[in-house]
Order: sequence, then structure tokens, then C-alpha cells
Amino acid sequence: MNDKSINYPSSHAGIKQGKADKILFNGKIYTVNEQQPWVEAIAIKNGLIIALGHLKSMDEHIDQQTILIDLEGKFAMPGIYDMHTHPDLALAPGYAGYLDVGLDNPTPDDVKNAILSYADENPGDGWIYGQYYVQFTFKKEGLEMGREWLDNIISDRPVAILDRSWGTIMVNSEALRLANIDKNTPDPNNGYIERDSITNIPTGILVDGGYALIHAAMPPTPMHALKRAYRECIIYQTGRGVVGTKYVHVCEHRLNAMKAIDDAGEMTLRVEAAISWQDDIFPVKRRWELISGERHFYRSDRLNANAVKFHFDGTHGVKSSYLATPYEGDTSWRGSLNMTPEHLNDMLIDMDRKGIRVIAHCTGDAASDLFLDAIENARKEGYNRMRHQCAHSTVLLDQNLARFKQLNVTAEFSPVGWYPYPFANARAEANGSERAKRLYNFKGVLDAGGIAVVGTDWPVSNINPWIGFEAMITRMNPDKNDDSKFHGEAISLEQAIRVMTINGAWCMGIEDKAGSLEVGKSADLIVLDRDLFEIEIRGNIHNTHVELTFLEGELVWDRQGKFNESKFKAIWHNEIPNFYDGME
Amino acid sequence: MSELNSKIPVTIITGFLGSGKTTLLNRILNGNSGRRIAVMVNDFGEINIDSQLVVSAQQNMISLANGCICCTVENDLIEQLHNLLTLREGPPEFILIETSGVSDPMKVAHTLKYPQFRDKLSIDSIIAMLDAEQFSQLIGEQEQVAMCQLAAADIVIINKTDLAEKEQIIELKKQWLFPKARAFETAFADIPLELLLGLEHEKHQQTLTSELNGLVTCVDAQCDHTEHQHDKLFSTFSWESNKALSLPKLRRVLKELPNTIYRAKGIVYLDCVKDQSCIVHLVGTRINIEKGPDWKGKKPSSQLVMIAWDKLNKANLTKALETCIA
Repeated sequence: MNDKSINYPSSHAGIKQGKADKILFNGKIYTVNEQQPWVEAIAIKNGLIIALGHLKSMDEHIDQQTILIDLEGKFAMPGIYDMHTHPDLALAPGYAGYLDVGLDNPTPDDVKNAILSYADENPGDGWIYGQYYVQFTFKKEGLEMGREWLDNIISDRPVAILDRSWGTIMVNSEALRLANIDKNTPDPNNGYIERDSITNIPTGILVDGGYALIHAAMPPTPMHALKRAYRECIIYQTGRGVVGTKYVHVCEHRLNAMKAIDDAGEMTLRVEAAISWQDDIFPVKRRWELISGERHFYRSDRLNANAVKFHFDGTHGVKSSYLATPYEGDTSWRGSLNMTPEHLNDMLIDMDRKGIRVIAHCTGDAASDLFLDAIENARKEGYNRMRHQCAHSTVLLDQNLARFKQLNVTAEFSPVGWYPYPFANARAEANGSERAKRLYNFKGVLDAGGIAVVGTDWPVSNINPWIGFEAMITRMNPDKNDDSKFHGEAISLEQAIRVMTINGAWCMGIEDKAGSLEVGKSADLIVLDRDLFEIEIRGNIHNTHVELTFLEGELVWDRQGKFNESKFKAIWHNEIPNFYDGME
Repeated sequence: MSELNSKIPVTIITGFLGSGKTTLLNRILNGNSGRRIAVMVNDFGEINIDSQLVVSAQQNMISLANGCICCTVENDLIEQLHNLLTLREGPPEFILIETSGVSDPMKVAHTLKYPQFRDKLSIDSIIAMLDAEQFSQLIGEQEQVAMCQLAAADIVIINKTDLAEKEQIIELKKQWLFPKARAFETAFADIPLELLLGLEHEKHQQTLTSELNGLVTCVDAQCDHTEHQHDKLFSTFSWESNKALSLPKLRRVLKELPNTIYRAKGIVYLDCVKDQSCIVHLVGTRINIEKGPDWKGKKPSSQLVMIAWDKLNKANLTKALETCIA
């Protein structure tokens, strides 16, 4: 929070006089500190824990200003961490106010009328972008799709309409002009620009990767949509007990949106934002400025952009994850990399020197092997500053399990794909039987002394972190109708709690001041509606409700609104956003 | 036509489960078309190959004595196409891709036009098969998939006409077919191979009529396909001119050809591309005109061959084509 009136403590100023601000008591508090695993009460001052133990031993910390909060015997633990998620990609397009024809099978006339009324409602020369048209209805009427059809409707401002199957986009001549697409423009590798077969002039139909050319020319996702997406996600996460998260893939506009939320005092968790190293999701126009120092302007105790994220390999679904041995049924195909290992080596050294964490998308076991090699090279040359992050880690080589500890690297497992359901089963099938045994190998990394963390990778898997939490311990579907077990080995409840708490703090580089409940650390804790140590795990962790979330001793979530009338009323209470049907 | 011929023609067959795709593919694999055809299917489940024909079988590729190959697409079309193009015995002469009943054939067609394939593969045609009886009852998502399949199709095969009422077929055509759609009605997926595979090779063109008589099978289920008079069913037309043609006019005329013409092929001399020949490839509603080889001292001229599944009014066609002269 950058509120100028805030009381920032320093060596010789800002330390509040008096005793504890708050004491939480009568709780069953699991601290994630092996020296003192269970306590009944916690004393908090200036957002930090100053004592743990029994309330009766805390007299010395109580004065007239101390607020006593009765936890009523409930279970509490440190707040949890989601180390890889994308609220902007999940929500912002839906909030952007783009054109939506809004009919099941719109005719060309329906599309035309929708474009014209959108133009009336949004006057000016801005882009008209939206969905969708249906190829069938054009053919049925014997009409040619393309720029000429659109130019006859509107020619003085850019228009781009997606088709229903999302394989193509139809644009008018003005859109082609603004995107610098003409007969000499080369095709992108994962798509093409449809052209007249004789003249080579683009027809206005762009296929697959072809529409990235249009997106690059369009204004960024509007600020209001980005802000709303991040804000709603922050409310949701706070309500689920998340105190630290990483918003992976950002640009200057996304950072501006986050800063606006932070400045308004609504950033109720710690966010590490990772600047996109590539332009494959959206263009990052100020990438190099951000990396060389502009990122510091966003920095507060809640927000930093001291990380970069890139796609080293692809995904198993389209066999582009980079594997150590060929895919099953193939003799040579191992997947592919989006940049050379040499590029990675150089960028890793450069980023480590700058104090920027490198978060590498590595779904295949050879991608992570190369990533670890690059880090080993950098370490040998003396670049030991940053704790880098191997993102997804879908499948790892057994030989690499010990390297996470040796090289000071986080093994981040995401999205939640370690229990049987169609998404995870498809990954297992694409990997083949030998590799399936090594999928999401939390146990392997932990047994070798390494740090494993979890990311929801929303919208790839559900934003609710408690689903993956339960499945780490069961490797089973929380839905009790399915009794099958997923590949790989489960971990214990205690291990899973560490993965969700202190390991997250470690992954953000704040394990000395957060992630467990100890004297001197930040008072980040959550009070649950159930005791994780007293319930049958299967079917009972994924639907946990977080009653209270404290961040730096401040109440930020109050599920029942119990403290709505008090002077420490929670910033978020009672209602949690519901992003899609059937979400717990 | 060497440039065009250096690309392997690909036909995509789409249609719902039960539309007759597998019956058709089984017939191609077990028959003898004289060409090395690779058939890419979703899975081998329904494929039924005479075991005596099998030369070798790997996990996802079966080679047959008649030169055909049958392989599964699994989940990576791009990789499997690479495999076919780099076969040790040489690439196939023709590729047929079956798309699953629920998928959008346009996605497959798009993949074939990606930079890594477009110099090696050319889309010959997209053929949609539909079950005359079932097709009138599609709703919701199925209806949307049907729209995708028909929007992509160059030729529509209405199969199982023996099981449908006449009114059903009329209604189906009214609801689903485009104004210029080429619809071929049949039973038992009994489709002339030339309709499917085209006449890419010159040897086929030279002996057009005899080839047709030899290869064409009949829609009459009672017919034994041997000594049958097919002239009633198929007719050909050819046209020549040594005057330069206007591209927009030619496109318009080709677009307006009678619905019975399902294939046209030829070289044209265009006034906008004087130095080079241009190649016309028409299958159903797919019209493609591309630049071909230089004239190399040969006198520029246009030659077009058209095949129809009914009698043609040759005088009208000649008249229409003559209006293309620039």
C-alpha cells in the first residue's frame, strides 16, 4: 500500500509504543515451526508476531489497547500460497466490452447489424473487435467472407471478428493496414494469412497464429477490464486464505492495473508479477525498460515485478513438451523448444545479475533438464543471487530431483493435474506409461530435500487452491464417485501443508519473514471451518472454508462478517466472487 | 503441370459417426486403385483390412500389398504428416484424412496450409458425408458441428438414400445445402473413386473416358459394376482457346458452373500473368487458380477439362467460357 499517510517503521522511527495490538487466543494453531508446532495464542504487534504460546503466558504483552480475539477453538495455520496463476487471461477478455453478436447461429446480416450498432454505441476510430461469425451462414447465402464484405459495412475504422470455431479471424482493409499486413508479409509459423492465389493480396481472413498479427496491432486489453480481473481475483484468493501469489505473464498495462489496486489499499495478498519474456500471449512494449529498472516504480511491500516468465517448451496435448526420449509411438519426435539453450544461458546470467527471478515454463523432462543445466552453468560462474523457478514441472527426470536443492531452484507443480479427471488423464496418456509414473513428482523433490510449491495456473485448472491441496495427499479425485488413484506417489498432510505455506514463502524469497508462525515473522494466518488433522482427508479438504484471513496482522477476510461492526472490520467479507458454475 | 504435381494431394473426409466414412475407407484400402494411398484415421477400431494384404504393421501404421498405408492420426496430425512425408519407401501419392465425427475439418485444412506443409501438400478437396435419415434430427452442438463440416465441404455425399424418404432428402437439401453445393446421392457409401481422388496424373487425363468407364461404380446397389453403361451417369467436357483470359471473369464463370460439374482441371492463359501458365483446380465449390510454370517458348493457350455426374449442355459451357476472353 502506497498510501502516503501510512506509518512506515524504520530503525529510528515509526515503531509504535505500547504492547501487542492484537492477541488471537483459544485456537488450535498449527505453526509449521518444528520447534513449536502447536500453540493456542498469538500476540501481534506492527503486523509481526511477538509471542506464541498460551494466552495465560501473555500478560506481559497486553495493555488497554490490545484487542483480544477469541478463535473459539478453531483450527488455524499460516496463510497459503498459489505460485502460478493468470487472473488477467481468465477474466479480462470477458470484461473488456468487446463486440458480442450474442446469437447462436448469426446470419451475415445479424453480424452486420451488430457491427453497425456497436459502431454507433462506440463512436470514433477505435477497433471494433469481437465474436463471432459462422462460416456456414455465409456459404448458405453464397457470400464471400473477407475484407471486402467488411469494407462494405465499415471501411474507416478497423474491424476484426472471430469465427465461431475460433480458428480464423475476419478483418477489414483498415485492420490489415494498421497491422501492416500486405502481400509481402510473411506467414507466422503456426498459422497463415489467406491470400488471393494469383495476386497474393490478403483476403482479410487470418488463420490460427495469423491473428496474433491483429492482436499485436490492437490496443491492449482495456485498463478497466484488467483492473476488475485482478481485483476480483484478489478478493477470491483472500477469501480462500491465499496470502502470497504470482501473477505470471505481465506487461506494463497489467502492472499499471495492479498498482492502481495496490494504491487503493486493496491488495490484500503479496503479489510477485513476472514480466513476459516473449510476445506470444500479448505484446510487451516496455519489456526492456521494465527489466532495466522501470519495474521498481511498481514496488511496495505487497507488489513486485522482479521476475520474468517465458515459455521454454510447449504442452503435452500437442506434443510440444520437450522430452528426454521420443513420445510413445514415435521414433524421433521429442517435442520442441521456443528458444535455444544458448539464449536461456545468456538471459539467465543477465537476470540473476539484475536480481530478477527467472520462471521457466518447462512441462517436458528435457526442458527442465536444460533449465537446470543453464542454472548450473550460471552458478559455476558465480551467479548465485536468485532462486529461480521451474514452472509446471509436469514430468521430471529422476536424476534431476536432487538438483533442485543443490542449485537452489523451486520445483513448481501446476496446473492441478495430480488426480484422475479428463485434463490430467490426457496429460498422462500423452506422456505414456513410463513417464506417467513420474508425473507431478512432489514426493521425489521433497525426499531429495528440495522445495516444491503449487500453482493453480488458472484458468487451466480451478482457481480454488484447496482442491490441489487435498489431491496432493490422496492423488484421488475429491469427488468420491471415482475411487481410482492417479499416477505417482502421495505426500503426507504435514508435507502438503509445508508445500502450501513455508515453501511458497521460500519461492517468493520471503521465508525469513513469512510462511510459518514464529516470533519476528509476519502475522499471516488463516482460521478454517475444520481441523485438517481431525478429518478424513479424502473429500474433506478441497471444500474447506476459510473463516478469517490475516495478513500482517490485519483482518482482510471475514467469511461470516463477524467483525463487521468492530473497528478492525475486514476489507473483504461475506461474499466471494463466483467465476464459473460448479466452482467450490 | 509439374509444379502442382510435386505436391501430394490430400482429401479430407468428414461426417458424423454412421455416415459411411468407414465403409468407404475400407473399400479404398482393400481395393486396387493403382495408387499408393495413405489413409489417416482416428483409430483402427472400425477399420477392417484383409489380413492377406498386410505387409507390415507397426503401432500406428499398417502397410498393404496394394501400396496403401493406413495410419492413425492419434493426437498429432502435424507429426504424423511428417512421418508420411519422410517414409523410407517414399511419400504416398495421395493422402486421405478422416476427421472424427465431432471435429471441425477446417482445422485440418488450416494445418495443411501452414508454411511447413504448403509446398509439399495441396488440398484436393474436402468431402462431407451425411446420413440422409439422421441429418434432419440434429440439434444444439451437433447442429453447430454439422455447420462446420458443411461450410468446409467442397462436395457433399448424401449417403443411405435407400433408407430415407424422398421428402426427407428434399427437406435436407433445402435446410443444409448452399446454392452452388455439389451433392452426390448414394447408398452404401458407393462413391466413384475418381470423384474422391481426382485426376491428378497426366496418364489419367489422357485416358479420361476409359478410366472413367473402368473405375466408376454405380449407385445402383443391384448392379455388379462390370459391364455397365456409365455414359448416362458421367460426362466430360473440354475447352481450348489461345486467347488470354480475364481472371475476374474466369473466376465468375467457374463459380457459376452447373452444380453437376464436380471437377475441373486445366491450364489457363491469363492476361494478368502473361509470362506464366496458371493452373485451375476445381473440386465442387473449391476453385483454385494458381501460378504454374513459364510458357518456355510454347504458345500460351488455355485447356480445361470438366467432369460432371450428369449430361452437360456443352454449347452453353462453351459460350460462358468464351465470355472470359479478355
